[in-house]
Amino acid sequence: MATLSTDVLVIGGGATGAGVAWDSALRGFDVILVDRLDLAEGTSGRFHGLLHSGGRYAVKDPKAAVECIEENRILRSVAADCIEDTGGFFVTTPWDDPEYADRFAEGCQATGVDCEEIDVVQALREEPRLNPDVSRVFRVPDANIDVWKTVWSMARGAQARGARVLPYHAAVAIHRDGDEVTGAHVRDDRTGEELDIEARVTVNAGGAWAGRIADMAGIEGVRVLPGRGIMIAMNHRLVNTVVNRCQMPTDGDIIVPIRTVSVIGTTDEHTDDADDHTVMESEVDAMLDDGEKLVPGFRYQRALRVWTGVRPLFEDAKADDTETRDVTRAHALLDHAKRDGVNRFVTITGGKLTTFRLMAEETVDAVCKQLGEQRPCTTRTEPLPGSEDGRHYRLGHRLEAKEERLTDDQLICECELIRRSTLEETMRRRASTNLDDIRRQVRLGMGPCQGGFCIYRATGILHGLDGLSAEEANGALLGFLQERWKGVWPVLYGDQLRQARLDDWIFQGVLGVEHLQ
Amino acid sequence: MTTPIDELLRGSLDHCVKCTICETACPVAAATPLFPGPKYAGPQAERYRVADEPSVEWSVDYCSGCGICTQVCPQGVKIAEINAQARNKLKNQKGVPLRDRIITRPTWLGRLGTPAAPIANWSLTFKPARLLGEKLLKVHRDAAAPEFAGRRFSTWARKRTSPATGRKVVYFHNCGTEYYEPWEGEKLVAILEHNGFEVVVPKQDCCGLPLQSSGLFGDARKVVLRLAKALAPHVRDDDTVIVGNATSCTLMLKREAREILGLEDDPDLRLVSERTYDICEFLLELHDRGELKTDFKPIDETIAYHAPCQQQGHWIGKPALELLALVPGLKVAEMDARCCGIAGTYGLKAEKYDIAMAVGANLFEQIASSGADAVACDSETCRWQITHATKQPSVHPIDFLHRAYGLDGAA
Amino acid sequence: MSPRTPELHYDAVVIGAGTAGMTAAARLAEGGARVCVLAKGVGSTHLAPGTIDVLGYAPDRVEEPEGALPGFIAEHPDHPYALIGAEAIAPALQWFAERVEAGPLPGYRYVGGLDRNHLLPTAVGVMRPSALVPETMAGGDERAREAVCVVGMRPLRDFHAALCAANLSRNGPSARAVEAAVEVDRADVNSLGLARRFDDPAWRAAFAAKLAPLVRTEERVALPAVLGLRDPHGAWEDLQQRLGRAVFEIPTLPPSVPGMRLFEILKAALRAARGRLVLGAEVIGADRAGGRIEAVRTHASGHDVHYHARWFVLATGGFASGAISIASDWTAHENALDLPLRGFPAPGQPRFVADYFAEQPMARTGVAVDGSLRAEGAENVFVAGASLPGSLPWKEGSGDGIALASGHKVAQAVLDAEATSKLRTPA
Repeated sequence: MATLSTDVLVIGGGATGAGVAWDSALRGFDVILVDRLDLAEGTSGRFHGLLHSGGRYAVKDPKAAVECIEENRILRSVAADCIEDTGGFFVTTPWDDPEYADRFAEGCQATGVDCEEIDVVQALREEPRLNPDVSRVFRVPDANIDVWKTVWSMARGAQARGARVLPYHAAVAIHRDGDEVTGAHVRDDRTGEELDIEARVTVNAGGAWAGRIADMAGIEGVRVLPGRGIMIAMNHRLVNTVVNRCQMPTDGDIIVPIRTVSVIGTTDEHTDDADDHTVMESEVDAMLDDGEKLVPGFRYQRALRVWTGVRPLFEDAKADDTETRDVTRAHALLDHAKRDGVNRFVTITGGKLTTFRLMAEETVDAVCKQLGEQRPCTTRTEPLPGSEDGRHYRLGHRLEAKEERLTDDQLICECELIRRSTLEETMRRRASTNLDDIRRQVRLGMGPCQGGFCIYRATGILHGLDGLSAEEANGALLGFLQERWKGVWPVLYGDQLRQARLDDWIFQGVLGVEHLQ
Repeated sequence: MTTPIDELLRGSLDHCVKCTICETACPVAAATPLFPGPKYAGPQAERYRVADEPSVEWSVDYCSGCGICTQVCPQGVKIAEINAQARNKLKNQKGVPLRDRIITRPTWLGRLGTPAAPIANWSLTFKPARLLGEKLLKVHRDAAAPEFAGRRFSTWARKRTSPATGRKVVYFHNCGTEYYEPWEGEKLVAILEHNGFEVVVPKQDCCGLPLQSSGLFGDARKVVLRLAKALAPHVRDDDTVIVGNATSCTLMLKREAREILGLEDDPDLRLVSERTYDICEFLLELHDRGELKTDFKPIDETIAYHAPCQQQGHWIGKPALELLALVPGLKVAEMDARCCGIAGTYGLKAEKYDIAMAVGANLFEQIASSGADAVACDSETCRWQITHATKQPSVHPIDFLHRAYGLDGAA
Repeated sequence: MSPRTPELHYDAVVIGAGTAGMTAAARLAEGGARVCVLAKGVGSTHLAPGTIDVLGYAPDRVEEPEGALPGFIAEHPDHPYALIGAEAIAPALQWFAERVEAGPLPGYRYVGGLDRNHLLPTAVGVMRPSALVPETMAGGDERAREAVCVVGMRPLRDFHAALCAANLSRNGPSARAVEAAVEVDRADVNSLGLARRFDDPAWRAAFAAKLAPLVRTEERVALPAVLGLRDPHGAWEDLQQRLGRAVFEIPTLPPSVPGMRLFEILKAALRAARGRLVLGAEVIGADRAGGRIEAVRTHASGHDVHYHARWFVLATGGFASGAISIASDWTAHENALDLPLRGFPAPGQPRFVADYFAEQPMARTGVAVDGSLRAEGAENVFVAGASLPGSLPWKEGSGDGIALASGHKVAQAVLDAEATSKLRTPA
C-alpha cells in the first residue's frame, strides 16, 4: 500500500474543500484533496446556482447579508468566468406581506446590499414573463455561479501549484496518534486501491457528512443536520434575472437563470440521511405552484429534471430538529485543539456556497495557527484559472464559440453545444470511465434531450479515445442512463415526457442497449 | 426588449425533442455548410439568446426563411419563426445593406419600372448593368429578374366592373401581379366571374413580406398594417373572403405577419388573416360543395407541379393538385423536391445566389426529367426562378383552369 | 356566401402520417375511398430503424414470431395483437412487401416474414430480432457467420464502428472496425446527408475505391444505414459489386434513412390511389354528434379547416409523439379528439419506477378501444398503431408489426362498413 505525505489533507471536495485546497496551495502548502465521490458531486453541485447578493438575508440574518455582499463582490472579481452577471429582483407578489418590502429596503441599506427599487413596468419590460401583478420590485446584485466550473478551476489551480486531487477516494479511517490527527486512510472506490496519507494538518470539509468524518477521528458531538431541498431545472431561460419573492425566506421563492436553464428552488426539510435523494410528488406539485406565483404559466413550461441537495446545518444548542430553516446558516469552524484537545485537525461545515471562499480563508488561517506559521491569504485578489481577464461568463459564449468552429468541429451534445474537440480534451484530462464525471465538467447531456442523442456519441468517442473495453464503454452508457433517469422520472409530464419516450425509443428500440447487460 | 409574441415563439422551443425531422427537410442545410440547419439555428441556439445581449452568431443569416421546418415539425416548434427573429436581431445589429432596402420594396421598384419598362427591362438583361448592380447593390448578376409588364393590373381592374351577382369576393393581388404579371390577375378574375362571383379589387399595396424576410421588421409592420387597413373594411360587415394568387403574400397575411412580426393584437390584421384564402384553396372548397363549374375542356398536356414552400405553410395540403386533376387530359407530375431556392429575395442576393441555385438543383433536375411541357407553381418568385434555371415556361396553376374553361378565347 | 371556416368532405380521414396512418390511408384509397391524411408533421418513420419488427421479445428472444404469437396473445389478452388477431398480421406484411416492390425505389425489397426473425446488429452491436427487413440490412443476420468489418465515417457522429464491432465480437461473429475517409464540406453530416451522397454513383465509386483496400476477403461489410434515399437498391448492389463482398446496413440514431424510404413508399402508394396528404395540419378538436364524430378541426394558417368524414382513423401515436400526454397535474389525455384512455395508472399509483430498464407502469397506456379497434365513445373512429393500449413496442420489438397490422386491419373494417352501407342505401 502506498503512503503519501503532505502538509494539508483536505477531506471533502465541495466548494469549501476545493477552496481550502486552493487557498492552501496559494499559501505555499503542499495539499492533497480527497472526496468519496467526484468533486462537487454533493451539496455544492446540488443547489440552484445562486450567488447571493445578501438580499435574502437582509432582514432575517444581517450578519449573513453582510458576508454575502462582501463575498459576492470578491467572487465577481476573482471567479469572473464562473459567474454570469444576471442581476436579481426581489418582487412583492400578491401572496407576500406588503409590509415586508420596506423592511427589506431598510435591511439592505443597513447591511450594505446594493438595492434599488425600480418601476414595475420597467421590471416587466426586462422580464416579460414575470407575474404582472407584482406590486414592488427591487434590483440587487444577485448573480449565478457555475459551481462545477468554480470547484474545478480551484482544483486545477491548486494542482498547478503541486496539489494532488483525488476524487472517488473515500476516507475510511482517520489516523490518530494520541491527541494528534496524523492523516487518513483512503480507498479508491473505483479500483479498490488503498492509500495512507500522512498530513501535518487534516481538514474535515465534509459538509453535511462532516459529523461522520469527525466521528472517525474519535471526536464527538459534531452534529450536522442535513436540510434537504428540491430544485427543478426548467428547459430554458424563463427569466434572465434572478427572481426572488420579497418576503421572509420560504419554499419555492426563487428562480435562478443559470446556463441554459432556469432553476426553481427550493424546499427545506430535515432528513436523517444526507444521501437520500427521494423526490416526492407533493414536493414537485408545491414547487410548480410556487413557480406560478412568480411566472404565470410555469406549470405549462417544460421541466427537465429535479434533484435534491442537503444543506449542512451545524446545530447549535437552541436549534429545533424539525425546522431546519431556523438553524443557523452561518458556517462553523471548529478548532478541535481548543474544542476537544485534538491537534492538527480542523472541521469546517455549515455556511452557504456564496461564502465558501471566506470559509476556506478562515480554515486555512486555522491551519496556519495549528502549524504556528504566518502565511497571508491571497484568495481575495488572486483570480482563479480562467478568470484572469475579469470578464463574466455570458449565456451566448458557447453559441459564439460554436459559430467560430461551425464547419470544422463536430457538435456532439447539441443541447449544450459541446464540440468534439472540447469533449475529447475533457475526456483525456479526466481519464474517467464515468460519463457523469464528464457531464459535470462540460454539462454533457444536461439539455432538453437529457443525453438522448449525445450519450451514444459520447460513449463511442470515449471507447475510441481511451482504448476502453466494450464492457467498460457499455458500463459508461448504461450507468449514465440509469443515473439520468433518477432526476427525470419524478418530473415527467408535458414536453419532457415526449422527450423521454423518444429517448427510450432510441436506446431500447433502435440500439437495444438493455441487451448489453 | 421582448414582446409577448417573442415569448410565445420562443416558448415553442420547449416542444423540441431534437428528433431531426426538420433537418431532413431543410433544403438550405442540404445545399450549404454555411447553414447548420433549422434545429441548430432554431430551438437549439434560441436557448443561448438573451434579449438584451448582442447577437453572437452569423449562420442564421443563411436561413432562407422558406418555413419548411415549421411545416414538417411533428412537435409544434415554430422553428422558422424563431430563426426569423434571430435574423432580425442580427440585421439590426450589423446594419441593413442598401440592397435589402431596395429589393424589399416591390412597390417602389414597380412604380419606377412600369412607366420605363422597356429601359428597365433592357437594363435587367444588359450584362454591364447587372454587373454594376452586383457591385453596387450585391444583387447577383445572374439572378432571376422578372420583366416589368409595362402596365399595372390595378389600372385594368379600375377600368371595369365585375357583374353584380350578390356573391362577392375581394381580390388581393400581390405586387407580382400588379407590376410583372397582370395577366395572372385578369385570369383569376375571369375564373371567379365564370363561377358567378363579383370580384372587388380594393386599392392596395405590398404585404411587407420581402421586408420581413430580410429582417426589416419595423418597416414590414407598417406596410402590412396599411394593407390590412385597406382590405378589412371590405370584409368586415359580412362573411366575404379575400382571395389571393401569391401564396407567399397570402401566407404573410394569414399567419406570418401575426406570428413573426408580433401583430396578433391588430384587429384589422386578425380579420384579414382569418378571411384570406389562397385561390386554389378557395376553388377546391367550392368544388367540395359542388359549386365549382366543371365545364372543363380537355388539355392534352403533361405538366410538372411544384408546390412552393410558402404554399405548404398554409397547412392545407396541395389543393392545386386536386383542381388540376379535374381538367380532362391534363397529366400532372407532382414534384417532390422541397424548394426552388429563391425564397422571395434570398436567391437574388449576390452572396446567396449560388446556394439558392444549389437548393433548387433537385427540383430543376426533376422538372427536366419529367418530360413536362410546362411548370405550374403557385408563387411568382418561384416561377421566375424555375424558368431562370430550367428555361421552361412556368405559370400559376389557375392558368390551366382558365384555359380549360375556354376563357382564354381559344376554341 | 362562403362560410368563414372552410369545410371539406371525405369518406375517411386518417389522423397521423406514421406507418399505421399511412398504411390505413393507402389501403383505404386503394379500396376506393376518398381519403385525406391529416398530420401535424411527418412522424415515426423518420425515427425508427425502418424494419418491421413483429415480435422480438416475449420476454425472451423470439425466434419464430408466427409460432410465438398465439401463446403471446393468450398471455396478453389486452395486447393490440389480441385485438388484431394473429391471422391478420401476415396479410398486412404481404400488402406492405408488395407496396415496397411497386414503390418509387427501383428494385428495393423487404425480405423475411413471420416464420423466422432476423437477428440484426444495432449500432451498439446488440443483435436485434426483426421479422421483415430491408434487403440492404438482411446481410447482417447472425445466421451469416462470416466475419464483419464495420465501417465508420468520421463526419457521421451518429455511428461508432469500433464500439459496434467490439460488442458484436463479444457474442457474435468476429468483427472489427475500420474508418473510411469520406470528404464532406462540413464537420457533421447526418445519415440523410450521407445517403444523398450515396445516391450519387460517382461519389459512391470514389467511396468504394477508398474502402476496398481496408476490407479483407472473408469479411462482410457493415455500413451505417446511409446507402441512398432515391435508389438504395442500386447503391447497395453497386457497392457489393465494387467491393466484391456482401454489404449490409446498420440502422442508427435519427434521422433514419431506411425509415424515410419507408415513408416515401407509403406516400407513393397513397398518392397512386389518389389519397390526399396534408402536413402541418394539426387536429385540434372534433365536431361530435352523439356517439359519432362528424368532423375534425385542424389549425391551418389564418383559419381553421373542418374535415368531415364518415370514418376517422386515429393513428397519432402514443406518448412519444405527444398524441397522448401527461399534464402537470399528472392526468393523462388524448389530445386530438379527447378520447378516453386505457392503461394509465390510477391516481396515487406509480406511473414510473426508479429502474430505468424496468417496465414503466404508464407505458401500456393507449386509447380505449373495443374488440374491433373502435374507440370507446366514438363509433366511427378506429384506432391504429402506437395509439393502441396494451403494448411495450420497444421492449417487445413489436411496434412496426402493430402499426402495419392495425393500420391494415382498420382500413379493411372501414371498407367493409362502407360496402355494407352502400348495399343498404344504393347511390
